[in-house]
Amino acid sequence: MTASEVSFNRKIISEDLSNVEFDTSEDVEVIPTFDSMGLRDELLRGIYTYGFEKPSAIQQRSIQPIVKGRDVIAQAQSGTGKTATFSISILQSLDTTLRETQVLVLSPTRELATQIQKVILALGDFMNVQCHACIGGTNLGEDIRKLDYGQHVVSGTPGRVFDMIRRRVLRTRSIKMLVLDEADEMLNKGFKEQIYDVYRYLPPATQVVLISATLPHEILEMTSKFMTDPIRILVKRDELTLEGIKQFFVAVEREEWKFDTLCDLYDTLTITQAVIFCNTKRKVDWLTQKMQEANFTVSSMHGDMPQKERDNIMKEFRSGQSRVLITTDVWARGIDVQQVSLVINYDLPNNRELYIHRIGRSGRFGRKGVAINFVKSDDIRILRDIEQYYSTQIDEMPMNVADLI
Amino acid sequence: MNDQRSKKILFNKSSLLSLKAELLKKQEEVQDKKHLPQHRVDSYKPPVAKAKNVKDTEKPGKRSFKDNLKAVDTDELEACRKSKLALEKKAELYAHLADGAGNSELSGRFLVDFNTKKQQEPEPECKSSQDTDVTYQSYEEVESEWTEFTDCLGRTRKCLKSDLDLYIKRDQELMQTMIKDQVKPIEEMPENEVPQVEKPLLVQKTNDYLQSLREKWEEKERELLAKDKDIHYQDLLYDEARIHGVSYFSFSTDEAERQKQMEALKKQRQETLAAQAEAEERRRKRDELLAARVAAARARQRARAGLPPEDPTKENEKDFTTCLLEFLTQQKNEADNKAKEEEKKIKEEQEKERQKLRDAYVRDWDIGKEGVEGKVKKFREMTQEEYVEQQRAKRIEEFAPIQGSCRDGSNYTFDGRGKVVAPDNYPPLSKSWTDVRPKVKTPPPPIISYTEPEEKGLYFSSKKSMPKPSVQYKNFVKAQPTPIENEISDDESEAQRSEERNPEANHAEIAPPPTYDYYGPVPKKYKPQKPFVSDIREAYAQGARSLEPKSSSERLPQHYDFTFD
Repeated sequence: MTASEVSFNRKIISEDLSNVEFDTSEDVEVIPTFDSMGLRDELLRGIYTYGFEKPSAIQQRSIQPIVKGRDVIAQAQSGTGKTATFSISILQSLDTTLRETQVLVLSPTRELATQIQKVILALGDFMNVQCHACIGGTNLGEDIRKLDYGQHVVSGTPGRVFDMIRRRVLRTRSIKMLVLDEADEMLNKGFKEQIYDVYRYLPPATQVVLISATLPHEILEMTSKFMTDPIRILVKRDELTLEGIKQFFVAVEREEWKFDTLCDLYDTLTITQAVIFCNTKRKVDWLTQKMQEANFTVSSMHGDMPQKERDNIMKEFRSGQSRVLITTDVWARGIDVQQVSLVINYDLPNNRELYIHRIGRSGRFGRKGVAINFVKSDDIRILRDIEQYYSTQIDEMPMNVADLI
Repeated sequence: MNDQRSKKILFNKSSLLSLKAELLKKQEEVQDKKHLPQHRVDSYKPPVAKAKNVKDTEKPGKRSFKDNLKAVDTDELEACRKSKLALEKKAELYAHLADGAGNSELSGRFLVDFNTKKQQEPEPECKSSQDTDVTYQSYEEVESEWTEFTDCLGRTRKCLKSDLDLYIKRDQELMQTMIKDQVKPIEEMPENEVPQVEKPLLVQKTNDYLQSLREKWEEKERELLAKDKDIHYQDLLYDEARIHGVSYFSFSTDEAERQKQMEALKKQRQETLAAQAEAEERRRKRDELLAARVAAARARQRARAGLPPEDPTKENEKDFTTCLLEFLTQQKNEADNKAKEEEKKIKEEQEKERQKLRDAYVRDWDIGKEGVEGKVKKFREMTQEEYVEQQRAKRIEEFAPIQGSCRDGSNYTFDGRGKVVAPDNYPPLSKSWTDVRPKVKTPPPPIISYTEPEEKGLYFSSKKSMPKPSVQYKNFVKAQPTPIENEISDDESEAQRSEERNPEANHAEIAPPPTYDYYGPVPKKYKPQKPFVSDIREAYAQGARSLEPKSSSERLPQHYDFTFD
């Protein structure tokens, strides 16, 4: 038995991985251009049309192994093209002549699932690919009709997808790839069982791809349960924050002062587009109302709104009609609006991962971004902890913050 | 004075008279000075305005550069600029007050009576403003990139079109500061009026617009749901403000139209490719032609000079070194390729092996699925490791090796050293190496006291100056003293004795040296030899061995042995 075999076996057997440090796999090839990736012509055209010119670091490393059929765990900083990475890989490995669901993409929020659908359709515009967003809060009948029509790719949220599978509307026999976007969130307590339910319906040894900006150790530990000898492309946590996103804090003595600070910052917010994060839906409602009473134009979104309203708010924000969005962590992960250059943490996030995701709503694909944290005196400790954990720098907000946007 | 209308100012008449006199005097002075050519107000003002305008339109960086060139004190300039600005503001304010003197209630706040002032000199101001307007217009005609706008003070200002935004922004800033500034309430009035009228209108407009947008999107969505056909990117865009690549083309949402556009695009693409190929071909041909012409020209030249025609193959010939170089590089490349290929082969083989393992691997979550069972059975032929693990899991705890000796030991480097260090009386094994180590460095006091007299006896001198950590360590480990009786007995083997006479060992093992050297008057003799401990030990061992027979025969009673005091 060779040494590699032994180590491989050990990986399978060993139960306790808490002391194992996961690293990027050794044999990861770096391909510097899209042209040299051996992608199909129509896909290449779609890539360039969408605005990509040179593959980002994660794209250079991950597309090839996914296309080859390997299980892949890919981590990269926010806004560096992770969605495009798996979208390109999916499109490359599709058989468009076969009108059946071949790839299933699961994501934690409906908006994100819709966004992924859009990206896949955009990149595959010249391939005539069909991708359906299978999300909750929509008409079941329409969903069934769309799925019956034949979709190459289904991008959805776990609940509705599982429902469709159970109803035998979404046939899984041709599915050869499962992608979990925001994988750490998907494998967290709230979602893990739903993922398991869906997974149980997939053919055995289906290719699995995990993607996220944050992949905590406990998530990496459990991957052997549903992945086979995955290729890992990881980022050390001290390299996880982007240079382009400047992070600041505003110290406030009392909670009430946050509102005044926000009003003072309103002019800065509207320079391009801004997202304000609160920790609860109620607070989002409260803050929105208060801002509107003070004659500031803001829009808001959270999970308790009807889907129709959520959709409309998303469209307005994406089209640039609304410029300031007050929201919860439903917006923290994955949502990509190019013009967002400012994120405000009205409340500090509940965990370190969320911080990375929230500030990552700005500074998309190489653009500049600013994150401003409102901290009460007892929050500063938490912020310092985040700062230390990611080896980043969070300074007090300067006067000329508008110049940085 | 307008005090009768708005407010009462307390004064006495004499002061009023003197003030009046002073005022008249000043007015006269001004009148006089106005008539001097260099101080005429109407001719003076426009240049100032012009100069300022030109200056404003320049970029700040440029301006500062100019300042540097002029080597003007910037502070002075700044002060000058500020004062000018203030003056202009004041002038504007006054003009405004003068204009609306009759109806503005706020004019009452100011001590100057603008009504009379206006009556006194209504003409020149108008004129000057007209003048400036004329110049502006003519300026505008000349350069079309210039634009004019009215600022919050009601001034028309001129700037480059590209800078318009910047100036408007600045203007707004100024407006805000003025709103805050309660000293100038006049400006506040129109400001307050404007937003009150405009804002609801704006809000309403945007609301209407948003509503129409929403309706539009809804319509689109309905359409999308209704049509049972392919969905494309365009169908989902909903006016999203997104920057695409340069080659982006917004296809129609109508399927037939889209197909047409696709076709057209494809055709154009092919045309482009064909054109590119053609251009390339043409270039190649032209280059060839050019080369041929040059060659012909050279041949003609040579012929004219009477030289024989050039050998056409000559150019292709290479000298020896290049040949050699080429050969060598070729060889090297071949070797490299071979190595690479071999490496690739090995990698491929490894990959194959791994693939086999991968194929054999069954995920936890797959167990129970159709087609997995057979695989599971096959896989359960255990590997050695797995078997060992299993057996260990089965083992009854009581029969397991002591915690930390065997199982844990295999995990740590402790194992290797542990064997060396761990004698029978050593501290419990569950302790790690790091737990033990500090104790070794600082031996417990009883043992130190145990060894000290022995060494004193050996060397007769300041033993403390000699650091012997290894000795102490060993002492600590072999904590058991050897009984004295054994030492003295005659029938011990030579080897054993020399070992026991080791200075590290117990004091009792050293036989009393019976020679003159030891009993004689000069024990200091040995001092210089001491620096090298091992040497001394060696020498002593040798000496002791040579003296062996004597020591055994002429042994002194123990109470005479003063080496143990």
